Amino acid sequence: MKILLFCLVLLAGSQALAAGTQYQLRVDGLACPFCSYGIEKKLMQTPGVENVKFDLEQGLVIVSVAQGIHLSEEQLDALIKDAGFSLRGVREIPAARAGGDRP
Amino acid sequence: MTRIALLILLLLPSTAVLAHDPVFGLGPHTLFKQGIEVHVGADRDAARNAGTTITSLELAYGLSANWTLRGRLPYVRTDRHDGETQMALASKYRFWRRDGLGVQQSASAFVNLQSGASAAARSGYTTNTTFGLAYGYESRRWYRWAALRYLNKGKGDSGQRLGDILFLDLVAGIRFRPTHYLEPDWVWMLELNGERTRRHAPNPGEQWFVSPGLMWTLRNFAIKTGVQLPLWSNLQNAHSRYRARLELEWHF
Repeated sequence: MKILLFCLVLLAGSQALAAGTQYQLRVDGLACPFCSYGIEKKLMQTPGVENVKFDLEQGLVIVSVAQGIHLSEEQLDALIKDAGFSLRGVREIPAARAGGDRP
Repeated sequence: MTRIALLILLLLPSTAVLAHDPVFGLGPHTLFKQGIEVHVGADRDAARNAGTTITSLELAYGLSANWTLRGRLPYVRTDRHDGETQMALASKYRFWRRDGLGVQQSASAFVNLQSGASAAARSGYTTNTTFGLAYGYESRRWYRWAALRYLNKGKGDSGQRLGDILFLDLVAGIRFRPTHYLEPDWVWMLELNGERTRRHAPNPGEQWFVSPGLMWTLRNFAIKTGVQLPLWSNLQNAHSRYRARLELEWHF
C-alpha cells in the first residue's frame, strides 16, 4: 500500500511538471456564447493548443498549450482578429490558477 | 388569381440570416474567417388568397472575419401550384466594428441576387437584387438592430415591372440571464418590420408587422424562429395574414 501511494504521488508530480503554459487573453466584443465559437475554432486549430476556456463576463479567453509551445502576442492577436474580435491584452498564468468554462 | 399567387413568389425577400441577427430583418453579423455555416430553414407566408411555403438550404463561408459569402437554394411552393427551385447568392461585408467589454457594435453592407425560372416569366428567368445596410448592438443582456433593404425586382411575363420594395427593420432583443459559454443561450426579440411596394407594382402599398422571435444557441448550433403579425396594411390586393420562420444553423 505504501509503495502504491508513493507511486501515485510520483505520477501526480510528474504530470504537474509536464503541464504547459496558459495564456489569459483579454478580449473585447465577447457578447454571446454562439459568437465566441469562432475563437475556440481558430485557437484549437493552432498546433500545441490543448484547451480553450471562456469567461464571458470578464472578457477572458484562457488558452492552455502543450509543454514547450509558445504563442506570441502577434500570433494571438491575429487569431482573435480572424475570429472577429479585439485582443486587448495577454498574460501568462500558472496552469493551476486558470478558471472559466471548459469546452 | 393564379397570376397574383405566382407573383407572391417574387415578393418574398431573401435575407441572409446569421446569428446573432434578427429573425426577419437584416443584421450585421459575419462569419469568422474560414468558418463554414450550414443553414436550413422554412418560411410560411399565409396570404389571404394563396399561401407560400419556402424551404431552403444555405451554405456560407467566411472569406475574412468581415466578409461572408452565401449560397442559397430555396424551394418555393404555393398552395395552388407545384414548387420551383430558385438560387440566390449573397455577400455581406462588415465595414465598421467597435468592441468593448461584453459589447460589440457593427455595421454591414449586403447584396443578394436571387433568380429562378418563375412562372410569372415563363419565357426566361427573373432576377431580384437586394441591397441592404444593417447596424447592430450586441451586449451580454441587450440587443438592438436597424436595417434598410431595397429589393429591385425583375420583369414579369409581359415585361411588366413587378414592383420594387423598400424594407425597414427595427429590432430589440434581450437575454434575460447572461449565460456561460457551454450553456444553452436564449435571446428574445421583438421586431417592427415595414415594407413599401412601389406604385407601378401589381400589389402596391405598405404593410407593417410586429414580429416576436427567439434565438436559442448552444456552442456552435443555433435555432431561430419567429412569426410576423400584420399591424397595418394598405395593399390593394392580397396581403399576408401572418408569416412564420424556423431556421437551424451550424458553424464549423
